[in-house]
Amino acid sequence: MTSESQRTTLAIEGRTEVARRNFLQKLAGAVVGGLLVPAVIGEVARAAPVAQPQPAEPLAEIPAVPAPSAGENPIVRMMEDLQRALKKPVEQRRWTMVVDLRKCLGCQGCTIACITENKLPPGIAYRPVITETTGTFPNVSRNFVPRPCMQCENPPCVGVCPVKATYRRPDGIVAVNYDQCIGCRYCITACPYSARSFDSGFFYHDLAGGVAQPYEALPSPEYKQARVRVQGDSPVGNARKCHFCIHRTEAGELPACVLSCFGKATYFGDRNDDRSLVAQLLSRANATRLKEELGTKPNVYYLA
Amino acid sequence: MNENEISRRDFLKIGGLTAGALAGVASGTVTFRTLESAEAARLAAAAPQVKYTADVMCPAECGLAVRVDNGIASAIYGNPYCPMNAGAVCAKGASGLQMVYNPNRIKYPMIRVGERGEGKFKRVSWDEAIGYVADKLTAIKKKYGPESVIMDAGDITDRDTYWRLFFAFGTPHCTEHGSICDTPRRHGPRIMLGGKRIEPDIMRPLLVRQPDGSLKNDYTYKTRLIIYAGWNPFTATRIPYESRGTVEAKLAGAKIIVVDPALSNTASKADQWIPIRPGTDADLFAAMLRYILEQDNQNDPFRRYIDWSFEEYSQGWDDFLAAFKSWWDKKDPVNNLNYFSLEWAAQRTDISADKIAELAHTFGITKPAALIWGMNGTGHHYNGYLPSIIGTALNIITGNFDVPGGAIDTELTKSDKGGSSTGKQFLTRKVKRVVNGKEVEGEQDKLHMDYFGDWPSAWDDVVGDYPRRFMEGVTLQQGPFRGHRYPIKGYILRTGNSVITGSNTQEWVKALTMKEGNDYKVELVVYVDTPLLESGLYADVILPEASYLERMSLSDIYPSHPLIYLRDFVIDKQHESKTPYEIMQLLAKALIDRGDADVKAADFTEKYKKEEDFWDEALAGAPGKPNSGLVRPYPQYPEGYKILGTPESLEAGRVKVDAEKKEIKGEPVTVKWLRENHGIAVWPMSYYRYKGGGILKTGSKKVEFVFKAYDKYNKLIDESGSVPPALKELGWDRYPKSFYWFETKWNPYTNPAYAKYKDEFPFQVITGRIHHAMSGTQSVDWLGRIRSEDLWYPLNDDVTVDEVLVGSDGPKATGRKLRIPKGTWSVGVVQMNASDAARLKLNTGDLIELETPYGTKTRGKVNAVQTIRPGTLRIAFGGGGRFSPGLGWTYYFKDITPDANMLTDPRTLSPIMGQPGYCDILVKVKKV
Repeated sequence: MTSESQRTTLAIEGRTEVARRNFLQKLAGAVVGGLLVPAVIGEVARAAPVAQPQPAEPLAEIPAVPAPSAGENPIVRMMEDLQRALKKPVEQRRWTMVVDLRKCLGCQGCTIACITENKLPPGIAYRPVITETTGTFPNVSRNFVPRPCMQCENPPCVGVCPVKATYRRPDGIVAVNYDQCIGCRYCITACPYSARSFDSGFFYHDLAGGVAQPYEALPSPEYKQARVRVQGDSPVGNARKCHFCIHRTEAGELPACVLSCFGKATYFGDRNDDRSLVAQLLSRANATRLKEELGTKPNVYYLA
Repeated sequence: MNENEISRRDFLKIGGLTAGALAGVASGTVTFRTLESAEAARLAAAAPQVKYTADVMCPAECGLAVRVDNGIASAIYGNPYCPMNAGAVCAKGASGLQMVYNPNRIKYPMIRVGERGEGKFKRVSWDEAIGYVADKLTAIKKKYGPESVIMDAGDITDRDTYWRLFFAFGTPHCTEHGSICDTPRRHGPRIMLGGKRIEPDIMRPLLVRQPDGSLKNDYTYKTRLIIYAGWNPFTATRIPYESRGTVEAKLAGAKIIVVDPALSNTASKADQWIPIRPGTDADLFAAMLRYILEQDNQNDPFRRYIDWSFEEYSQGWDDFLAAFKSWWDKKDPVNNLNYFSLEWAAQRTDISADKIAELAHTFGITKPAALIWGMNGTGHHYNGYLPSIIGTALNIITGNFDVPGGAIDTELTKSDKGGSSTGKQFLTRKVKRVVNGKEVEGEQDKLHMDYFGDWPSAWDDVVGDYPRRFMEGVTLQQGPFRGHRYPIKGYILRTGNSVITGSNTQEWVKALTMKEGNDYKVELVVYVDTPLLESGLYADVILPEASYLERMSLSDIYPSHPLIYLRDFVIDKQHESKTPYEIMQLLAKALIDRGDADVKAADFTEKYKKEEDFWDEALAGAPGKPNSGLVRPYPQYPEGYKILGTPESLEAGRVKVDAEKKEIKGEPVTVKWLRENHGIAVWPMSYYRYKGGGILKTGSKKVEFVFKAYDKYNKLIDESGSVPPALKELGWDRYPKSFYWFETKWNPYTNPAYAKYKDEFPFQVITGRIHHAMSGTQSVDWLGRIRSEDLWYPLNDDVTVDEVLVGSDGPKATGRKLRIPKGTWSVGVVQMNASDAARLKLNTGDLIELETPYGTKTRGKVNAVQTIRPGTLRIAFGGGGRFSPGLGWTYYFKDITPDANMLTDPRTLSPIMGQPGYCDILVKVKKV
């Protein structure tokens, strides 16, 4: 396997083939039995690191759908909530997600929409939907629980990070500084919700075809960093997680999962704003959080 | 950093890889496309665009807003302006990128070099491929007549260009999947209302005319009860608004009841799940109707089931009632009980009499309500016409038809489209044939092998009976060409996969590979599609069609009020694919060049200068609905007149009102107008649209309880004296005047002729729809990673396989090896009740063989669960035995996944529409 890999000539920005080979030899030595290694790890040069100026970007347009005669359009309502929140200083926002489990259809559109939005690699889903089936025929029930990152007020993942690569933003979002992350994966173990994944460096074309697909070469908008994912560079080798699509929300767009939700079961907004839809939903008696007993204080609520 | 060293950070990353046994990895020599950093920077800088279009990952055809980064489709979202999906997408909709950019796509035109089925092709130019097809078509037409050619536009609805060309070519045989989809399910609404699909009033928002004349969106739900029988809208999302609508309506106070042998996802959100015995929906509905008729008391507010106002807009109820009641005193030989009584239905459906009574009462008393029946429950049973007819009657007599919160026939409320672009006008051309030595003249459509052959009432064509006609040829039995014989020599299949979905797989293979001398009996098989599915392996010519993000056409949808949207060019065409329009024009030109007498430049190459021209013609008839109902969509215009034109022009009064034609004609909807309006046109909602005839499309413009729709078929029989074989099978010599009843086949619990199979073949097999991964979309990696109900499940073995990819010369090994670890890839499985599994000493993951009484078999892995009734097995339609490498990873599991259509009885086609009995299957089970 290794020799196959060594035969492949690669000229990648800033690296020689020698370094590449060493890298692969080390890798091969660390491989557990039975696991085949990707023939070549990484063929796509990443974009030159882009400095991240933060121009005052115009906020997304709220869809100009006809005015409601009765009821409301949840997308319009939440976008209005969102854009109101963006006018406040960042530390006064408390981004919160509410999932109405009674409306989750188990379609898993959120899972895939998140993957495409954030350009996630094989093996990583920030927001899987967990299916639970209980009971005995004919008294059977099936429930669906979407599981994003809980964006805890007391996040167990932050304290264990030896290099302070994961941190809590003033608006409550738990973020990862990919350039800081050493990939030790302590945070993955620490998270009681299994909401963190490790980017092991696989690409979809490793699994089919061997030729990079156009969508794989697009930069991920995560953290507004426009990183093209390549082998040997962040976020490959980093811990990765849901961040409530802050690159979208700060532009006035709803998170990918919220916009896509086929059952209109997922809501998003600023809990600190009494007028927001999420604040109103949280006042319901049926609002709960996962593993409340751990004291993590999630910012994801479920209506059951 | 020294390049020969590895930093701590790199080291840890490497360590991470060892744990990365996530899915499967490849080894071997591969080539990579590298991205220059300049290009990468340009990509990063390019501002994303949003393009509005229509999905076809599934037939729901949601409105989409696709983000395009520098020419690459980068994320797929719902179009927030589209009321069908209101900005949402499901997993399948979101995953279109892996379909469009799939490495297994057909990239170039190819011509077969091996035998049919071997999958050996060579890449050719478009000129060569089109030339080959045109030469063959010309020769077939000359020798056998154009009626020897079938244009089967398969599963995807934007078929207009192909139909136009082949109708012009001279064949009456242009079809699509509707004929193998669920024709019995549509039957009741069709003959009684002129419609097709009754759906609950849960599309939100509705665009409603306000008292002040303005148009506003109503987001509220009025429905109090929805009963879904054999219908699983959450996973079979033909009607996308039924997903969110059902759960929203429930939260707004509606009761949801699901009647289904398996706990579908829809059932999992219902107030009540009734696990009925397969194939007995008609029995349940008949007992409900009898209960409502017998127990109705107009003086008791708790028993006032019937809303007699239906008599104002219907005719023939007394005849229907008399025919229905004529069964009440008869004893069923199966159980010696009176037909349609509660006890009778309880015996047959395995639902207690109390529960049936409660269901009937609940439906009768709760208003507004909707009784909805689906594809699997009714469409796939031999007698599926019966629940469709009785269900329609139940919705009508309880006063739920087209009322707020009730049941809407969405075939009657959707926007018109197509018009003259589909080329149906060519069907009325006069043609001459020599029949029994005599020259006869008639219209082109009178040559139709079904309508004037064995299936006069099968208005959606009988694709399930094609293999027989491929092998035996056609003899017309009705009409002017009665006695005319012709073979089927050309089969053009576009975006369909009849080998897997068009009735029994083996029959299709036999028909497509049968030889006559040295040649194949069917001389020309053409396959036009984006992915290479099984049927393509039997083609002589393969044409790569542009994917849905690369072509233009119109949505095909079932909304509560008229709306239409554009399928638009989102990205450039990939590889060498061409759009359906381009293929039509190329083939038209090739036929014209060969002197075809019927295909004329004036109808093709000279008529349309660009793709938009064609679709503008198709849009000319939109929305085409009457200005009827309450509140009238356009109160300022005359009632009942046909509405045409853009919502904008109708609103602004830029219209011509034509009293003679009874038309209100605004500015025509065009591609350009749609592009300027988020890709979509929406016209207002109203209810009670049957008043004054309104949207009803029956001959009498009333709801018809006497089936006048059958009159024309009886007339044909009167003239010819030839009774269609399927009618004879029922012991009928004419189509019935009103209510009728007959038993399904292959059901030992309802048909005494099949009771003998009960012990040896103890399982009824039904098919379900795995929404995430129907047919070609099984090649999508993202969808293989998730599971669906208990039908699409990661029960794969640990395998290391030689990778096969569809290359320029067809499927070919790449030299790479792929390892697919156990339990990481969802495959089609056999859903079985855990108690049945325990009795047979089977565990989840065991490979079993299913065998029918007629000896057909398939294999699959058991999924032993609590979510299906004992004695019933469910397998996914199209979910297994997939032997085309174009399916990606699914292909590697072809030997452990079940193909439902290996089991389908090729001789059991339902009698009126010829639909295969996909859910009328008995099997015994053997561990492998």
